[in-house]
Amino acid sequence: MESINEIKRDTLSALISQGQRGDGRGMFDYRAINVQGGILQNPEGSALVSIGKSQVMAGIKFDVAKPFPDRPKEGVLSTSAELLPLASHLFELGPPSDESIELARVVDRGIRSANIIDLGSFFIDDEKVLAVYIDLFILDHDGNLIDTAALAAMGALLSARMPKVEEGKIIRGEFTGKVPIKEKVVTCTFGKLGDKAFLDPSLDEEKGMDCRLTLATTPDHLCAAQKGGWGAVSEKDLMELFDISLEKGKALRALLGD
Amino acid sequence: MGNPAEKPALFANGRRVDGRGVEDVRPLKIVARVLNDAEGSAYIEWGKNRILAGVYGPRECIPRHDQSLYRAVVKCRYNMAPFSGAEEHGRSGPNRRSKEISKVIKEAFENVIISENFPKTEISIFVEVLQSDGGTRCAAVTAAAVALADAGIPMKDLISAVAVCKIDGTMAVDPGKEEDNFGESDMPIAFSPRTGEVLLFQMDGNLSREELSRGLELARNAAAKIREVQVEAIKKVYDEPKEDRFLLIG
Amino acid sequence: MPGEMVADRPERISYAYVDKGKTYSTVVGLFSEGKLVPLEGPYEPLPDDFIVGIVSEVRFSGYSVDTNSAYAAFLSSREIRERYEMGDAIFARITKTDETRSIELGDAKKLPEGRLVRVSAVKIPRIIGKKNSMVDMIRANTGCEVIAGRNGYVWIAGKGDSNLAEKAIRMIEAQAHTHGLTDRVAAYLKSQKKA
Repeated sequence: MESINEIKRDTLSALISQGQRGDGRGMFDYRAINVQGGILQNPEGSALVSIGKSQVMAGIKFDVAKPFPDRPKEGVLSTSAELLPLASHLFELGPPSDESIELARVVDRGIRSANIIDLGSFFIDDEKVLAVYIDLFILDHDGNLIDTAALAAMGALLSARMPKVEEGKIIRGEFTGKVPIKEKVVTCTFGKLGDKAFLDPSLDEEKGMDCRLTLATTPDHLCAAQKGGWGAVSEKDLMELFDISLEKGKALRALLGD
Repeated sequence: MGNPAEKPALFANGRRVDGRGVEDVRPLKIVARVLNDAEGSAYIEWGKNRILAGVYGPRECIPRHDQSLYRAVVKCRYNMAPFSGAEEHGRSGPNRRSKEISKVIKEAFENVIISENFPKTEISIFVEVLQSDGGTRCAAVTAAAVALADAGIPMKDLISAVAVCKIDGTMAVDPGKEEDNFGESDMPIAFSPRTGEVLLFQMDGNLSREELSRGLELARNAAAKIREVQVEAIKKVYDEPKEDRFLLIG
Repeated sequence: MPGEMVADRPERISYAYVDKGKTYSTVVGLFSEGKLVPLEGPYEPLPDDFIVGIVSEVRFSGYSVDTNSAYAAFLSSREIRERYEMGDAIFARITKTDETRSIELGDAKKLPEGRLVRVSAVKIPRIIGKKNSMVDMIRANTGCEVIAGRNGYVWIAGKGDSNLAEKAIRMIEAQAHTHGLTDRVAAYLKSQKKA
């Protein structure tokens, strides 16, 4: 409803310009976060994460596949996202929307750039490598699906076990230990309205804000970023938000456990 | 159907492969009101099935040409997550099997939802299978009924569903995965428990008249027990009210 | 529960239906004194209901208003003296509805600066309270005006602690069917009230 968005922007503007948020949070506070890892048995890895009222489930599945022609000795990593119609009255049925494609690619970029999985170790034989599929199932939408999905993907990877491979085939149900993950990548998504930035926008805030900035970080590096929406971000913003991301990253990693 | 060479003995000494008797339903747990945006929702764990149902509506019917001037249009989408199966990674989105299941579920609920109260609207039922373990369509119907009640959609009855199979010549209720693959018959059934009317009925395999009759009896008894779990789940929403809802997976 | 019997003979009860001489519920609700009160459900507009709406479109002869229902609501310019813009929040009375459920509004007034909370329509009576007791209590403890429309839209206005007002509303919504709620809400508001 466009009219609702107009109201949201005005009310939001009034609050944000005074450094306040609709639900009483600080400008750089996350809503309550809950992580459940390894909760399904069929996928090789899984996790369910909620940030505030947003909920995302991630599943990890391995298959034997053909490698990419330009990387014949490396495993394949593929991330996809589904904004399920049951997650929001705003979601419609149909082919993957721009939003779901962007979400999947941003989460993927963080994981891939930080090189946290050694894809070289997934080589099996000529024309045969292990493919790892990360599927993000958006179950409930109350804003900041990117951070919720990224945390779910990371949680699922950390819970994942390497399947046993025999004669070029996967023996389902048998494993050879956990999937070696080198680092924990986390994302921090900020909203921007006017000249003020705030962390973890709720759905109401997303409806009224100008633009969104997501930063994916390892403990000390930036490994992926995405700006969405039509506003502008200053260089000073970028540096400040990078610092905040590193700081917030510590707490996020702690939630992911070991 | 599975590879006949690998078929295990499904029924021996009055016990099934997982130790159950012919009348025993697998462990079943339902939690209602687990999503925040959807008008109504329910989560079901049945055997190793993990299924989530969400309901929206009555809301404006889009596209407009689907609208009915006299009643709400009931829509249903049943979908399996790519990571839900025990074997390979599946494709995204509903395949032909999923579309067929969506249709039979929708038709079952069209019988009980009092749609005349809400002309020109749609009532949408969405079911997502997070993990599958045989009997997903019955679990889907059972969860969807709870989600509809959670949303306050007026209905003539709360539908319960269960499947019946024939294993090694004996009729048994609620087939597990192996029984689904290697059994001689599979018959999912949904009931309106108040009247005993059958609202969803599918079957494959071969059954004699006695076997059919016995199967219906087993299903009806099991459906009554399943209804108790549904009612418990709905009551719990009001006995233990929460402001924010979360899905917690055992 | 849907399908549960509420009477042994045919009766005309809201939210129930008759089949073969007996009456059954269609909803999850409480049955007492011959009446069925649903615990959850969509808003069913009736004439003379007072609702909170948001102007969604300015049309030639009036306004389209979003009322949190599947049905469009129209406010004719002839019914009001003020002029509205898209996004304005109004408090209005339903003057007419028909079988196709289109709603006509009248007696509208614009609401002051504030924010919108969407709740389940069946909980609104509890949020208002007997003789406005609940909304009065929220106002006394937060400094905010709470205007609740029967359609489930609640408008929180004023410069007070709107956050606390919203939390109180959500608490009432979740526990609307319980006893002793008024006392619990009073205790909650007092404990959270800022100096």
